[in-house]
Amino acid sequence: MEKEHKVLIANRGEIAVRIIQACHKLGLSFVAVYTAEDAHSGHVALAKELGDSKSLYRISSYHDANELLSIADAANATAIHPGYGFFAEDFRFARRVTERDRPLIFIGPSWRVIRELGDKINTKRLARSLDIPTVPGSDKPIYDEAEAEKVARSLFEFQVHQGVEKPLVLVKASAGGGGMGIEEVYDIDLFRSVYRRIRNYAMRQFKDDGVLIEQRIKNFNHLEVQVLCDRAGKNPVHFGTRNCSIQSTGLQKRVEIAPGFDPSSITYPFDAQKVMDDITEYSITLARKVNYDSVGTWEWIVTKDGHPFLMEVNTRIQVENGVSAAISRIKGKADVDLIAEQIRCGLGDPLGYTQSDITFDGIGIEYRIIAEDTEQNFTPWVGNIDNFSWNHTPWLNMHTHLPQITKENPYTIPTEFDPNLALGIIWGTDLENVKERGKEFLNALSITGYNGQSSTLKSNIPFLLKNTDRILRF
Amino acid sequence: MELAKNLQQLTERLNYIRDIFGGKHQDDINLLSSRLEEFRHNIETQANINFDEGLTTLEDLFFFMEAKLENKLTPMDNVRIVRHPQRICLRDILENVYDNYTEIGGQDEHTNDPAVLIARAYITRKRGKKSYNQSVMVIGHEKGHGEEFRNGGSAKPWGNAKALHYMHVAEIEGIPIHSYIFTPGGDPVEDYPGAGQQIAKNIYKMAGLSVPVVALFSEGGSGGAEALSLADKRLMLSHGYYSVISPEGAAAIEGRLKRGERASAELIENCAANLKLTAKDNLSFGYIDQVLQEPTLGARPYHFDFFRTIRQEIIRATDEIVLNTKGFSLFRINQLRRLRDTETNLDDTYINWHLPKSLRSDLVENRQNKFLRMSKGSFINRQSMLGALSDAWTEQWREVYNRLVYDFFHRYRRTYTNFLEEATAEWETIKTRAKKPFKSAYNKVRRIDTTAQQELTSLSKWDRADERGGWNWVSTRAKEDKSVTCPNAKTHGCLDLWTPDLYNEFAGVCTTCGHHFSMEYQWLMYNCFDVNSLYEFNSEWEAGNPLDFPTLDQRIKDAQEKTGLKSGCITFEARIDNIKNVVAVLVAPFRGGSVGAAEGAKLISAIDRARRKRYPLIIYSHGTAGIRIQEGTHGVIQMPRVTIAIRRYIRAGGLYLVVYDTHSFGGPVASFLGCAHYQFAIRSSNLGFAGPTVIKNTTGIDVAPDHHNCYKALSRGHIHGVWDRRDIRMNVKQALLTMGGRNLYYR
Amino acid sequence: MLNISSILEEIKKTPYTDLSVRAPHTGTLVFTDINEGDSVNSSSGQWQEIPGTKIATITREKNPKPILATQKGFLQKLHMKYNNSFVEAGVEIAVLRHFLSKQEVVHILLQKALHLFNAPERAKYYFAPDIDKKLKISGHKNITVTDGMDLFIVSRMKREIPLAYHGPEGLIYEVYFEQNQNVDAGKPLIGICPPDQLSIIEDVISRVYHEWQEQE
Repeated sequence: MEKEHKVLIANRGEIAVRIIQACHKLGLSFVAVYTAEDAHSGHVALAKELGDSKSLYRISSYHDANELLSIADAANATAIHPGYGFFAEDFRFARRVTERDRPLIFIGPSWRVIRELGDKINTKRLARSLDIPTVPGSDKPIYDEAEAEKVARSLFEFQVHQGVEKPLVLVKASAGGGGMGIEEVYDIDLFRSVYRRIRNYAMRQFKDDGVLIEQRIKNFNHLEVQVLCDRAGKNPVHFGTRNCSIQSTGLQKRVEIAPGFDPSSITYPFDAQKVMDDITEYSITLARKVNYDSVGTWEWIVTKDGHPFLMEVNTRIQVENGVSAAISRIKGKADVDLIAEQIRCGLGDPLGYTQSDITFDGIGIEYRIIAEDTEQNFTPWVGNIDNFSWNHTPWLNMHTHLPQITKENPYTIPTEFDPNLALGIIWGTDLENVKERGKEFLNALSITGYNGQSSTLKSNIPFLLKNTDRILRF
Repeated sequence: MELAKNLQQLTERLNYIRDIFGGKHQDDINLLSSRLEEFRHNIETQANINFDEGLTTLEDLFFFMEAKLENKLTPMDNVRIVRHPQRICLRDILENVYDNYTEIGGQDEHTNDPAVLIARAYITRKRGKKSYNQSVMVIGHEKGHGEEFRNGGSAKPWGNAKALHYMHVAEIEGIPIHSYIFTPGGDPVEDYPGAGQQIAKNIYKMAGLSVPVVALFSEGGSGGAEALSLADKRLMLSHGYYSVISPEGAAAIEGRLKRGERASAELIENCAANLKLTAKDNLSFGYIDQVLQEPTLGARPYHFDFFRTIRQEIIRATDEIVLNTKGFSLFRINQLRRLRDTETNLDDTYINWHLPKSLRSDLVENRQNKFLRMSKGSFINRQSMLGALSDAWTEQWREVYNRLVYDFFHRYRRTYTNFLEEATAEWETIKTRAKKPFKSAYNKVRRIDTTAQQELTSLSKWDRADERGGWNWVSTRAKEDKSVTCPNAKTHGCLDLWTPDLYNEFAGVCTTCGHHFSMEYQWLMYNCFDVNSLYEFNSEWEAGNPLDFPTLDQRIKDAQEKTGLKSGCITFEARIDNIKNVVAVLVAPFRGGSVGAAEGAKLISAIDRARRKRYPLIIYSHGTAGIRIQEGTHGVIQMPRVTIAIRRYIRAGGLYLVVYDTHSFGGPVASFLGCAHYQFAIRSSNLGFAGPTVIKNTTGIDVAPDHHNCYKALSRGHIHGVWDRRDIRMNVKQALLTMGGRNLYYR
Repeated sequence: MLNISSILEEIKKTPYTDLSVRAPHTGTLVFTDINEGDSVNSSSGQWQEIPGTKIATITREKNPKPILATQKGFLQKLHMKYNNSFVEAGVEIAVLRHFLSKQEVVHILLQKALHLFNAPERAKYYFAPDIDKKLKISGHKNITVTDGMDLFIVSRMKREIPLAYHGPEGLIYEVYFEQNQNVDAGKPLIGICPPDQLSIIEDVISRVYHEWQEQE
């Protein structure tokens, strides 16, 4: 890898801090950006500390590609790291970055891969072409009412055949997303009216009346496979599985555990080890098929009776990368930093190791620490934090973008962004041990704050504590 | 007393001369003025002398000078004559030409539009001892003698609607229409249903009016004039003008003036001359059938003899139309000969103006053919003789073939198919009823269809799997690495767009607010229709310069080089999902998409082709600034011509769609585009009769920046929908299927 | 009791506001041919269709954009050091001195005379739908608010919660926030005029209209 590279960090907060640290570790120079609201964020302080006069710029918005590229040119950056969120999975941004007059390296998959895997129907068809299990149902938009009814009917029959007690079918607009234009059907006689409603909605909303019909699966665990590959796209490796089933009511993840199941201490009604082996194998197969060339996450659902189905591929580094790193060891390396690996490979370095060099040890938990009222529909709390402290221990890795906070120098939570305050990653030798350490960490963690309405700070620590007992179970 | 009155008259005549020459011929005017002053002075100072002789001399001098100046009249002087408050107006004509009249739908300023006057009138004629009152519907513009409320004879949309209504009435009553054109142009402020659209509706109606129509032009200002003037006979006053645009308007365009700037008198004078807008010019072009010689320096209300001329000629014109329609029996030839004899006093003859129903379609056809024959030589056709001949042959063959296939074969086939359909439906009902008892039993046996279940978990066949939704044609602007700002960024917070995204994948649409940036005309041509299905025809028809307008040749050449096209109109056949269409495109980059004789001829040819081949017709206005003003009346005559072709097409059962893009204004909107029953606009387009600058210059009114926006046009009832460019193919197809249906030709 | 005269005197000492003209985003800045002390205009015309005076051009990704004066006044300061150089977003490039108009003085006085209801936290604020409908029909000066009335919707972090009004009953006399814009905690949202003080408020307005001389 050439050391001459300069990485523009097109993100904020925790991930920006992590990328700056990774660049520093790799000996690369960097450029960070921030908006007026974020002036006191930790990533700004760190950029000032580790960078030079061309390492930090104020921009008007993290959402404006023009701002980022104009900074990239002004600061002579050669590569852009999108982090997660914002432009991470935007194939147009990746395309623009790499195809503009002054091209830059997009540290992420090449734009064609992002586009290919960003399309859920396409991903599903790719998977099926490789005999990778996907949610039963259609794998292409259905435009014909008779055909739709035929599919729905056989889906009901299929579920009865599988012994599903209350068969359910999902009808969704193929062009839709984000929960719009989706309805559940529990009776085939109601199917037609639902189908027509969705089709008309899709026609109005998306000018495309294609409809997808799938089995609605209830009671499942949400597993992920962490994949990494270099630019050659030939020999992808994985860093095990994660279980992300503990979520807020808005289906936002709150606790992630690696690995995805723990058959050594929990008895599952199916062969959990085989499921984990299968899904990692499937994920690698698909990655190889599309010449995947960066980090990515393969999202799976595993039903209560042990059937895995591929849901989608996230073509980016994810928030919970740290928990996979915590349980992984690479032969000949002191620690695992997936972000550093992503940057290193993204800039053209070969991976340098194979799957057999990666081993796993222990169990990791990642807590997302957020100021929110878990009793009130996870409403974010907004105000000033005047104390944020925890016990430093060797088994804890704390990632936060909060600056040094004192009573005199409180931190105001910006209202424009994701409410994450910190990620607490705990490593333990086994499940009991990691749960104990998790609770110890949470009990010692202290956050206080105040706001204009003089209401005290509400955090999700009690929620995290309560759920620590539930981890890895259905 | 008498003397004072005469003096007063002479003063008025002098002032009139001064007015109409706009500062020219000062020597002559000064001479008259000093003689008049001298005479007046004499009267005041020298009492008790007979001044009769002096007066006669003075009057003679006036007559002499007026005759001298008459020969020096320039086109612009004619324009000033026509606009002068002393010019005869429609009410003068009603008073003096007709024997009796009643104004309909208003009185003075108490009418919905005082610029348009409707009257039922009659002319009394005698044959022997018997006298006949011949009723007519008089429709026309009323300029008045300078009254403010008349709006100078500029009709509002509802004024034209009123005229349209009484054309219907005349048709019901079977009486001829006498139409008087005294307008500088239609009022450009948009209102329901759009200034242009109403004019288009009028032209469309007149193209098929089943009663004789005579039009008399005094001031024929562009679209406003066309709204009332599609007539069987078009007469024109010798000092009138008939033009595509006012000389001032032309000067503003030629001089590239901005809002509020004024053109020089010289430039205006030149423009008036170049536009060839006089009665003589228009007679030689064939857009006018006859010129009525006015008194020296133009007709004024006291020229009572002249009203008699008008009366005679109006009667003669109406008689001729009726006789021509009725055909030439020996008896009628005699009548016609008598009619053409100018010595005959037509008041003492009588020809019944009522046309029997059987002849009305002949009347309409004659009128349509008359217009379609006009302006043939006003553009360049470089097609070889042989090519033209073979085209003509193909056309003839098509006509015969289609008559056979569609009129004969299809009619019987349809009857047969209808029968078959009904029979099948009946059989299905019987079958279902018979099967009912078995069906429920059949349902109870649950069978597991293993192949169906296999399909739920394995890859299915999908022929569209490889489609990436790319566009068939992409603008070269998509190659440039830069970003652009959406005009709505301030209000909608749109982020700057990267041009390779915007002009390629986004099809020129802002992803935040949906604003449509303008795209090249090729974008729609190649992305709306099936790939490789375009077949262009008449591409060698070339825009010309029929008026020898200065520098137009070079400008046409520049436009041809810039666009690679011969004219501002492309006509082709193309398919959408195998539905065949005839399409005409008005190309904005070719002289603003303006329509002249070549474009008009191409449009008519395309419309005829659609009619003969029984295809739907789509006109895509990529943008049009209006009629090409440098072609003068050769341009403006395309309004009725193309509308007539459209009317024939629609009447023959065709489906006609109009799609507006970018900016569409002027004559085309006020005629063949505006008359379509189905008009749609692509988002962010603007359309209307006259642009904001023209409105400001003609009326002094400022209009809001979004006055002509397509959504405003939609609210106004002009268009019938606003389409997203990205969905154009789907929308056009949807329109063809829903507005077409089985009675359309293409089925 | 409000001492209008003294406040007016206070304002008269500095009868203007100094507005910072800032770079809307990053880019290369080039000043137009304009000097310190030059007078500038805001956008005008019946539909604001005539743009304000151009102060500079900022070019980002080959897309030049004008920076226009948003208020009438004169250029108190031009930071010429930025000419032809790359600037960050939000950098002050000029200071525009704007002399207060009568309406603006009234506005300042009303902020002191009315009962202000402040934003409890930084967020975006909207009127509750039923209030919003009334506002659009009859204008805000016809709406009476009472203590405990659900008046606002607070929107932050993609969540919306209702906010009740607390304070004296009265008419909404002024609205200080714009939809879709964040309001900082403690900034006024609306100004309420209790019915018994209506005459005092109207007195304020008429006095300003008599006494205030607008400057160019």
